[in-house]
Amino acid sequence: MGKQGYSMMIRIHGAAAGMTGFCMAMAMLLSILSGTAQSQPPGHRIGVNPAYSVPAGDTPAGIEVNSATLVENANLWNGRIVAFKGEAIGESMVRGKMAWLHLNDDAYMEKNIEEGAVLGGYNGGHAVWVSAELAKKIRFFGDFKHDGDIVRVTGVFHAVCRDHGGDMDIHASSLEIIRPGYPVPHAVNLQRGMIAALLFVAAALLYGIRQIAVRRRI
Amino acid sequence: MIIRPRLSDFKVICLYTGKVIIGVGLLMLIPLATALCFGEWNPAIEFLIGIGACLVFGLGMEALCQTRRDLNWSHGLVVASFSWFVATALGAIPHWLSGHFGSYLDAMFDVMSGYTTTGMFLLQDLDHISHGLNMWRHVLTYAGGQGIIVIALTFLFRGTAGAYKVYVGEGKDERLMPNVIQTARAIWLVSLTYLVVGSLALWIVGVWLGQGYVRGGLHALWIFMAGWSTGGFAPQSYNTMYYHSLVYEMICAIIFIGGSFNFALHWAVWTGDKSEIRKNIEIISFFITVTLAMLITTAGLMALDVYPDTMALFRKMFYQVASGHTTTGFGTIYSRTFVRQWGPLAMLGVTLAMAIGASACSTGGGFKGIRMGIIFKSLMQDVRRMISPESARVAIKWHHITTRVLDDQTVRTAMMIVLSYIGIYALGTLVGVYYGYDLVEALFDSVSAGSNTGLSCGVANPSMPAPMKIVYIFEMWAGRLEFMSVFALMGYVVALLRGR
Repeated sequence: MGKQGYSMMIRIHGAAAGMTGFCMAMAMLLSILSGTAQSQPPGHRIGVNPAYSVPAGDTPAGIEVNSATLVENANLWNGRIVAFKGEAIGESMVRGKMAWLHLNDDAYMEKNIEEGAVLGGYNGGHAVWVSAELAKKIRFFGDFKHDGDIVRVTGVFHAVCRDHGGDMDIHASSLEIIRPGYPVPHAVNLQRGMIAALLFVAAALLYGIRQIAVRRRI
Repeated sequence: MIIRPRLSDFKVICLYTGKVIIGVGLLMLIPLATALCFGEWNPAIEFLIGIGACLVFGLGMEALCQTRRDLNWSHGLVVASFSWFVATALGAIPHWLSGHFGSYLDAMFDVMSGYTTTGMFLLQDLDHISHGLNMWRHVLTYAGGQGIIVIALTFLFRGTAGAYKVYVGEGKDERLMPNVIQTARAIWLVSLTYLVVGSLALWIVGVWLGQGYVRGGLHALWIFMAGWSTGGFAPQSYNTMYYHSLVYEMICAIIFIGGSFNFALHWAVWTGDKSEIRKNIEIISFFITVTLAMLITTAGLMALDVYPDTMALFRKMFYQVASGHTTTGFGTIYSRTFVRQWGPLAMLGVTLAMAIGASACSTGGGFKGIRMGIIFKSLMQDVRRMISPESARVAIKWHHITTRVLDDQTVRTAMMIVLSYIGIYALGTLVGVYYGYDLVEALFDSVSAGSNTGLSCGVANPSMPAPMKIVYIFEMWAGRLEFMSVFALMGYVVALLRGR
């Protein structure tokens, strides 16, 4: 083996030793950090958000809960049977005999901005895992041109779903249409059309002036 | 003595700013065509107004400011920062006219977020916006990722010697080819090739996952644009959680990790130098810091026992940390899940990832791997100097495309930029805490804005105070342009007021 070969071997060994040392240090850090926490009851070190409801012992199964409550106090609602109502948006994504739906229960559930609703913050909602058969009941999904069906589902809420890689979801066993969706008409705004036309006329004039200015510069 | 800029200086700055703004107006042809294709007449009119306004500004500047002067360094830097500012103001017209924003400031916030590939948004009712507006959001972020100056260099500038100065002003300094305009075109060649391949892969998977052909195709294109540019916008409010698919997440991760690497590295690999991948200081730095951030985040998640099994833990942790470290901002958890389930330690792990960020001369933000590598090597050099005999000359080499000896000037520049980033992170955090947000949450969103990441734990939202929105806009702008151009613009304003 030549000098270069030895040099290469030393480099590889050095890199391997460095990586091993780094991994060992990180493993130690990890064990120290997780070791301390193991003495705590799991999943209960983040306090309850009192602004949102929490289930009690006598909370009936199938009680209606909104999406913000489920996110804010996720661990406490985990595994509970809940009812959830929202506008179906996007599309139904069928996966074999089951399907994913997304139901929004935000300020735009009844009427969206394209229909003239006042601004009410971000969208908010939940992903629902339901049989493809039930998902077929939905005719309209909310988008620019449609207000989606408002749907009520009942099922088990998972703060961290084992079946779906840790997603937060609701596995629904029932689905009913509360209010059918509809296409949203959009009247053409002619006033804005006029403004656009005026701007293009101004741009054409400026282009002419620019050409004169360029010729003068040359 | 500060010299007051002369009329001829303003002329050259305004002339080139005008050219860039015409480029922005031409970009709006893409969402305009989309809106027309889908019969979205009002959004189409809104884009026509946007295009008209850009043309009036751009042609107006060209008509008023014709000059034979070419750009010098300070002009180049000022053109870059001023163009980004004007492009934000005019690019926000279609956003504002859509009716989905509480104020023009909110619309500008989203446009700056798009150009800077941040991905934070204040748009309300995202799930009901037109395909045209969604296309504009993603074109903004894709164009911003490559650099709007790069676009102008590619299509609108012809053989100007000053072109390189504007290009550097946009936070890029790599020359892939001898000529900077050819370099800009090479960046587009790389990006457009990946666009075709990546979008096709996402489209096939999207249809397999149950999306329709048209929606699947549009989503694939938009997710690619947002991923490759490390932007983080998504067509639905659920971000990439909407797809509920490990395969889709993996393709996204490949795209955004690829997008976060240096264009010079991509170019070296394209032109046959594959060994660059294992030698490059940024790649080595990236893998070390991403491992560190993942370990901290994992420790936080394990401490709170958030996930029931290792696979779920790794899947969620890897995606959020990699998305944070590449400054993409795609997420597969709700914003508030960071606070309500992940807890402070995991949040700090993601914050660290975001703060360090991606590679220099990429679409990403943050300190950048190259600077972390240089600072670490400098530390090693100092330690070696301490333990070596006084007469020994200690030299450390670093490799990025070529191998160089580490010098003090390089270290000083790297430190200065890193300190500037820390400064804007601290500014946003202080303002957040002043308005009553929790320290960890304020830090998380401030770092996210300053590093152009876009992940949020809920601080950034339409109801946050206007001064915070302004600070975040400044953070996004300064962070993306890597300070020098912004400092140059500030210097110009000072010179205008106090110069002689």
